[in-house]
Amino acid sequence: MDIREYIESGILEEYVAGELTEEQMLEVEKMSDKHPEIKRELNELQEALNVYAKAAEKKGHRSILDEALLEIKEGEEEHFIAKLNEDQEVVIKRVNVIPVWSIAASILLVISLGFNYLFYSEFKKTKDQLAILEQNNVVLAEKTSNIEQELAYAELKVAHFLNEDNVHVRMDGLEISPESYANVFWNKKSNAVFISVDNLPTPPHGHQYQLWAIKEGQAPIDAGIFDYSQLVQELKVITGDVKAFAVTLEKEGGSPVATVDKTYVKGFI
Amino acid sequence: MPTATQPILTHANVEGRIVGLLARKDKEAVKLIFDYYGNALMNVIQRIVQDRAMSEEVLQQVLVKVWTNAKTYSPDKAGLYSWLVAISRNAALDKRKTRDFREGETSRSAVQIVALENRANDENSLEKLMARQLLEQLPHKYRVLIDMSFFEGYSHQEIAEKLELPLGTIKTRIRSALKHLRSLV
Repeated sequence: MDIREYIESGILEEYVAGELTEEQMLEVEKMSDKHPEIKRELNELQEALNVYAKAAEKKGHRSILDEALLEIKEGEEEHFIAKLNEDQEVVIKRVNVIPVWSIAASILLVISLGFNYLFYSEFKKTKDQLAILEQNNVVLAEKTSNIEQELAYAELKVAHFLNEDNVHVRMDGLEISPESYANVFWNKKSNAVFISVDNLPTPPHGHQYQLWAIKEGQAPIDAGIFDYSQLVQELKVITGDVKAFAVTLEKEGGSPVATVDKTYVKGFI
Repeated sequence: MPTATQPILTHANVEGRIVGLLARKDKEAVKLIFDYYGNALMNVIQRIVQDRAMSEEVLQQVLVKVWTNAKTYSPDKAGLYSWLVAISRNAALDKRKTRDFREGETSRSAVQIVALENRANDENSLEKLMARQLLEQLPHKYRVLIDMSFFEGYSHQEIAEKLELPLGTIKTRIRSALKHLRSLV
């Protein structure tokens, strides 16, 4: 078919005017797809009519479009809500597949694990704190015990000082240990001898201090070995005319004869 | 008068654009259909409904239907325009079956067709001037034919009867009217 002739036939105007049947319209569209010239002609026709419509104020009311868009929007919202409800039903079905108790149990398990961890941490922390406290307690008890002992010795010492029956002898350090000193209390009634270990150096391993009572013209008399760590202790009973007391360093267990050149402290009555 | 045509869609491939927008479910498609094919579809609807107000209602329904049935459109099977015309014709025929159409039929008259032109125009004055020039340059006999055939829903046969002219003459004159119009725009 001659394209020009086809265009001149007026069928395109009929197409645009809606004069044609559906089949005829499809025919025109087929032709227009095949022949760009026909397509251009159709476009120009439609555009010319649109220009005319605007000029002649033929254009349909804008409200038609606005109303249509509103209706579309409302329809979409309804569809969305309907879809939402549908989805909710599906969710409920799915939930039914997993028994409610198992969900509850899972939640409880998780909570329980959480608490377990929390309590364990707390327990561990408390345990550590308790260990520290216990240790502190031991240290404190030891200190208290030492202080108590020192106090007891001090009281004892004071008691010996205050006891009018006691003869007090202060023994000062000799050349071997000039800083040292110790005190002897000799009870005139009971003849008991007490020593107060005030300042003596720590004895070397395997050695012990020994107190001696010195009488004129006699070898020193053993007044007893004593424990370096004990501040005040009662030693042997000494009678007679004692002129002086002295402390020597002897081998552990003491010695029957005083090692005079190892005399640390000495004091006269 | 290209400036007067600015707000009007003149893109030769507007059909392709609309089809693409419809496929992407973009509502801009509905707007473009209204702007570009609105008058043509209104004309098709009026042919069947023969009442301006009711036709506007139908056109509104057509736009909604176009949107909801967008998926059914296949560019391989039909051109966009014939698809739109088919939807419009069906909607218009449905409207004819409704009660309010049958009740309104007796009071329907040609007066309505004249009245619809009195619409508010808030365009700027230059555009108004150009529009007036276009209309002045288009002979009255052509305007009548264009109005009847493309905007008022008269079939060629009806126009021929109304103007008491042979159908062939009407067809020729409509073609001449459009040629003249196209020479102006």
